[in-house]
Parts: sequence; C-alpha cells; structure tokens
Amino acid sequence: MKFSSPHPIFFLILVLEQTLIFSSMADKQFIINTCKSTPSFKLCLNILLSNPKSQNADLTGLALIGVAAVKAKGVNIIQHVANLKKSQPELKPALDHCEDVYHAVVDADVPSANEALRGGMVKFAEDGMADAAVEAKSCERSFGEHGVKSPITGLNYDMNDVANVVRAIIRMLL
Amino acid sequence: MASSSDLENPNTIASLPYSYAPLPDREQPTADEPTVVLHPKKTAIFLVCAFLSVAFLVTLMAGNGHVVIKNLTTNVAPSTVETPTKTTPMSRGVDKGVSEKSFRAFLGADNSYPWNSNMLGWQRPAFHFRPEKNWMNDPNGPVFYKGWYHLFYQYHPDAPVWGKIVWGHAVSKDLVNWQHLPIAMETDQWYDEQGVWTGSVTILPDGQLVVLYTGSTNESVQVQNLAYPADPSDPLLIKWVKYPGNPVLVPPPGIDLKDFRDPTTAWKTPEGKWRITIGSKVNKTGISLVYDTEDFKTFELLDGVLHAVPGTGMWECVDFYPISKQDENGLDTSVDGPGVKHIVKASMDDDRNDYYAIGTYDAYKGKWKPDNPALDVGIGLRYDYGIYYASKTFYDQNKQRRVLWSWIKETDAEASDISKGWASLMGVPRTILLDKKTQTNIIQWPVEEINSLRTNVTVFKNLELEAGSLVPLNLPAASQLDIVAEFELDERTVLRLNGGEVAYECAKNGGAGTRGALGPFGFSVLAHEGLIEHTPVYFYVAKGVDGNLKTFFCADQSRSSTATDVDKSIYGNIVPVLKGEKLSMRILVDHSIVESFAQEGRTCITSRVYPTKAIYNNAQLFLFNNATAATVTASVSVWQMKSAKI
Repeated sequence: MKFSSPHPIFFLILVLEQTLIFSSMADKQFIINTCKSTPSFKLCLNILLSNPKSQNADLTGLALIGVAAVKAKGVNIIQHVANLKKSQPELKPALDHCEDVYHAVVDADVPSANEALRGGMVKFAEDGMADAAVEAKSCERSFGEHGVKSPITGLNYDMNDVANVVRAIIRMLL
Repeated sequence: MASSSDLENPNTIASLPYSYAPLPDREQPTADEPTVVLHPKKTAIFLVCAFLSVAFLVTLMAGNGHVVIKNLTTNVAPSTVETPTKTTPMSRGVDKGVSEKSFRAFLGADNSYPWNSNMLGWQRPAFHFRPEKNWMNDPNGPVFYKGWYHLFYQYHPDAPVWGKIVWGHAVSKDLVNWQHLPIAMETDQWYDEQGVWTGSVTILPDGQLVVLYTGSTNESVQVQNLAYPADPSDPLLIKWVKYPGNPVLVPPPGIDLKDFRDPTTAWKTPEGKWRITIGSKVNKTGISLVYDTEDFKTFELLDGVLHAVPGTGMWECVDFYPISKQDENGLDTSVDGPGVKHIVKASMDDDRNDYYAIGTYDAYKGKWKPDNPALDVGIGLRYDYGIYYASKTFYDQNKQRRVLWSWIKETDAEASDISKGWASLMGVPRTILLDKKTQTNIIQWPVEEINSLRTNVTVFKNLELEAGSLVPLNLPAASQLDIVAEFELDERTVLRLNGGEVAYECAKNGGAGTRGALGPFGFSVLAHEGLIEHTPVYFYVAKGVDGNLKTFFCADQSRSSTATDVDKSIYGNIVPVLKGEKLSMRILVDHSIVESFAQEGRTCITSRVYPTKAIYNNAQLFLFNNATAATVTASVSVWQMKSAKI
C-alpha cells in the first residue's frame, strides 16, 4: 500500500495501539466481572492477575489458573508442615493429619479438577475445589482436637478462601 | 456434598451446597469498593491518543463497549462462606425422655475424630454395588442378556477420585450378588482418549446388542460412538469392539463441543427407524436433541428438540421411557399407545439432582410435553431427595419390569476416600411404576431380590409412642437392616388440633429436633446409645388451614457423626398421603448408606452417613416420637440383612 502522506499510517498506529489498550482493558473487565461473582473480589483479582495467562484466558482458563493457585498453596503448605515436624515435633499428630489432607488436595482434587475443566465435566472440578476447602478446615481443626495451637491458621484460612473463590469461578461454567 | 433445596432453584453463588460446620470466628475483612487502576504508563498513552484522535475513538468505542475508568460500586459478597447460624425454635408441650439437645445440630463442637481404619473399614456397605477399589460414577448400559444382568459403570481405576474414565463391568443373576469382570472398554482410541463416558444399550429385534456411548476425544470434544460385543454368543459379554467408523455423531451446529453427551437407549419410531435422545443446553436452557437412525451408524438430527426447560442448565444422563397407565409391569422402551405415558428424566448439572416428569410423547413429531408444566423436568419432582445422580433405567425383559440404577457419591472428605481406597456406590436397583392412586408421580421400590438377604426378623406390633418418647429397639446388630414400619397418629389429637400455615421444609426446619404437634416421628438409625450420633428418618405431619394434613418425609444427617468433615444436610420432601392410608416407611440401612422410602416409594431419600462411634456393635436402632401432642402407634418389622457377594 502506498500512502501519499504519513497521516494514514499514524492513524493506523493509533488504531492498533488503542485496540491493544482497549482489548487489554476488555480482558481485565472480563476478569473483574468474573471476580465480582465470587465470595472474595480482591482475593480473586489477586489470584488471577498474578498469573500472566489470565490476560487472554476464557472462563475455563481463569478456572484453571485458580486451580493452579490452589495447587501452589497446597504444595507450599505441605512443605511448611514438613518443616514444622522438625521444628515443633510436639505438633506431630496434627501435622500428620494436615499432611494427609493436603496431599488429598494436591494429588487428587487438583488433578481431577484440571482434567474435569479440560474435558467439560465441570461438576467434578467444583467437587475438587469444594473438597479443598473442607480439607483446609480439617487440617486447622486437628490442632484444636489435639489440644495445641495451630501454627498455620493463616495458611489454612487462605486455602479455604481461595478454594471457595475458585469454586465460584467454576460454577459460572455450568 | 448435598444440595438442600427441594423444589427450589439451583444454588446461587451465595449458598454453596455444603453444610459443613464452619471454622471458628475470626476477623472478617471489610467489603471494599473495588477500584480499577490502570498501569500508569498505559494511562499516559491513553490520554495522549485520546487527545489526538477523538473521532477514531468514537468509531472504535462503538464496538468495544463501555470501558471507562471510574470507581465501580459493586455489591461485594462477604469474603468468607459461612453457614448461617440456626435459630432454634421454642419447644412446646411435653418433653419426656427425648432431650431436644440430642436432636439439635451441634454447631461449633470441635470434637471430631481423626479417622482410623476401624471407622473407615466399617463404612464399606454389604449389599450395595461398587468395584473393589477406587472411583465409580454413572451406571452405563444396564441390560439383561442371555440370562445375566449386566452393569457397566464409569470407572477410574487409578484413584478414588474422578479422572480418565473407562467402562467397568460386572454381571449378576439376581441384581444383588455380583461378579466383577475385566474392563469392557478402555480409552484406546482418539475419539475416547480422554474418557469412555456414559452410554446405553439397545437390544435389537434379533436379540443383538449395540452400545452408544460418549467419547471425550483427544481434543476433549464430546462425540458419540458405537460399540458392540466382540462375541454375541458370550453371555458374559467380556470383550467389546468399537465400530471402526467412529464417531457416529459429533456436536451439531449451535451446540458447544462440551455439551453433548450420554446417549439413551433407542426406541422404535412409527416409520420403523430407531430414535435416541441426547441432553445438551443452549445458554441456560436444558434441552434434549433427537436423532433417528436405521443402522446406528448414520443419524438424522430432527428439527427442534424432544423438550427444553429454560433456566435448568445442562441436561446430563437424559432418560426417556414409557410407563403403563394401568398395568403393574414395566414396558419395553419402544412401547407406545393409549395406555401409556412417557417419562423424561434428566440429571441437572447445576444442582446435582435427578428430575423426572410424566407427560405425553408425540412419536410423529419426536416431541414430548409434560402433563403438568409446573412440575416440568428440572423444576418438579426428583427421583430421590438425597444423594442420587446420573441414574438410568432399563427394561428388564426377564421379569417385565423397568429397573432404575443410580450413582451414589461419597459426601465425606477426599482424604478419607484415599485412606479407605474407594469412593462411590450404586443405589439398590429400584423398579419404577406409575403411582396408580395419585397418577401424578411414579413409585420406586427396591427390587424384590433384595429381600433374599433378609434374615432374623424382629417384629413389634402396635407400639404406642407417646409424645416425646424414645424407644431403643433391641436387635442383634444395626448396621445392615431392612426396616418396614407403619405409623398411625391418634385421631383425637389430629381432629382437635387447629390448622395453620404450613411452611415446613425438611432442609430448613432444623431436623428432628424441631417439634410440632404431630411430628416428627420415625426411626433413628446408626444411633449411638447416648444419641451423640444418630440419623433420624421421620415423618413430620402438619395440619393446614383447610384442615387437611400435609406430610413431610425427611432424613436428618445433622447429628449423624461427631466428625466435622462430612456432610450434615437434612434431606426430604412432601409425600402425598391419600385418605385412609396409614403412614408407611421402609429403610435399608447398609453401613454408610441409608435408603429410605415413604408410602411405598412415593418419596425416596438416599443418605450417606459416616459415624465415628455408632459403628459395629455400638450401632443401634431407635424408634421415636418427638411430637408435642400426638401419640403415634407403630408396627415394625426389622430384618437383619446378610451380606451380598459383591
């Protein structure tokens, strides 16, 4: 294409630039709208925006990002629990229980949810995230049951909250 | 995980179906008004461009919508999901021997047990079908063939959680004792590489079998595939062949690639073709597509749908079959005629319940209409008011009955399933008939063969239970029981009672601890002697403003276990009771599964129960009348149930 003046090119660049900005604003609007329908808007934004893949993700993609966040938190807690077993061996019974339940999250709930989301069997993904919240509560409770104070209350509540947010995102796929 | 809604709409985000005990209170983060903040650099570019080319912006914005920077005022949902605190109603009237505390949900009690192998081992049922280990879901292709009942099922062989699914297989002579066979179909083709999903069997006139099933392809597209026995003369149907020309159906235009699954058994059309239906959705309208075929290899999509109901979401595991208006036998799927109604059933993905409706089928148009649109598919009656999903019927030509299978999932924590090494059961198969007395619902009843497990009966005749009474029934054991009982309210109290607004709902009225003048009364199963754990299954009767009685049938898991990681919902629904009928119930107790039936199967409730104390020799059975005014007379037969070979 031959232009007699630079103005059309200039406008073309402007158009491209604005399309980029608008589309990224539009994607962000999609994320915002999605998060509005979850129990924790801020937490949801945090989870999704901290993963660059959320920029171009559809709803299934956002849900998968959420599940990945649950996995990451689960793996982190398992590591934390392993460390605590050495530094606070008096907490062992509760820590053992936490190790079991978080392995259920990371080894069963998460892979099942990922497979379910990819295959369009959304309800199993919802079940997986619902269970993650249950397991987090179960871990937190086990300290009280053994008459000790939980050293990971924040982590457990965080997992519970994240799992509930991701579950809410998944429900939008139904 | 249970939905506690009965005839109401599926769950909203604010009311997630779990009713687990909440964590102890902690500081709640305040709800913020969220702001949209763009990266500063982008803000600068935006402003510059906006200034330079306003005209261009106008044309672009026409397509791009209303994206502006401002403080968005939104309604932010509370950031923790907590179960609402229950209000405990004042108890009225006599309080003899039944402490309300023992019936009230014990929120906040942090005395759950860590699960040990003893407790988990007890949970294994004695006469409900399941594979030896790992995960099962939907029943597939049930059929009676060459003297054997076949059951196939969605099976994940690797873990007690859903995953890459294959077809498990088992056979039985009597629907009660089972022989496990090798996996019938694996994920060995591109068109079912991500899963050999649900499907159905059709018996052809020459006795041959064909299977249509959903495959999740290597790209996770849902397609329908044809398969048939490798050796039709093998009564055990061990080996299967997949049609080389698969898939025979792919999602049609307008249907999402992941909303196309669970083909039904085929039935004959007036033109002599075969017809099937497959559930799907368009936006939030649940629909059922119709296909005709002559050879199960090429199909013709009919215009429109068999039926659709807005707002119900995806229809999974659609089932379509005739029932007789006057006879007491089942009907082959192809039967049609003036003495016949048709049932459309679907599993609602949104709320995890199976709904059915009775209606009229137009074979020429390939369309069906419900008799009562207020009780349409997905918004009306459910097969079961507890845990019951992905169910499927088949016509048993051996005994001329229509038999219903259903998947019963776990409602405990996944960690427990991993410890115990298995997850999910099938319900006891049920026969289905039109309720000839009401004409507006079906009745379901455990297949008669289950009675062959009955042994050692204990009978109580005309036990008078005064208001507020609790009676332990002395039995040799209480984990495997078949209970059949009749109840009568004392006429005097019923007649002299003033009627009122009846706003009772099993799920929302606090369970068996909430006392009314005429109820609740029934059994506490899997009960510990101090009632620290127990599961009431009961009738709650109330007198309406018009003087007529309304009867509710409920199963209350709120005190079923001291564990805090199991579901403790209360399930149930209204049950029609006609004049002159006694109240009757049947309960099959089989360790961690309880199946309850009211009025010969008008209302059914399947529950999963996971006690930590009321197990083995400590499980007991109680009869109770927690009404404040009426005396109830009960006649009861309780059989010990032998274990089946499974």
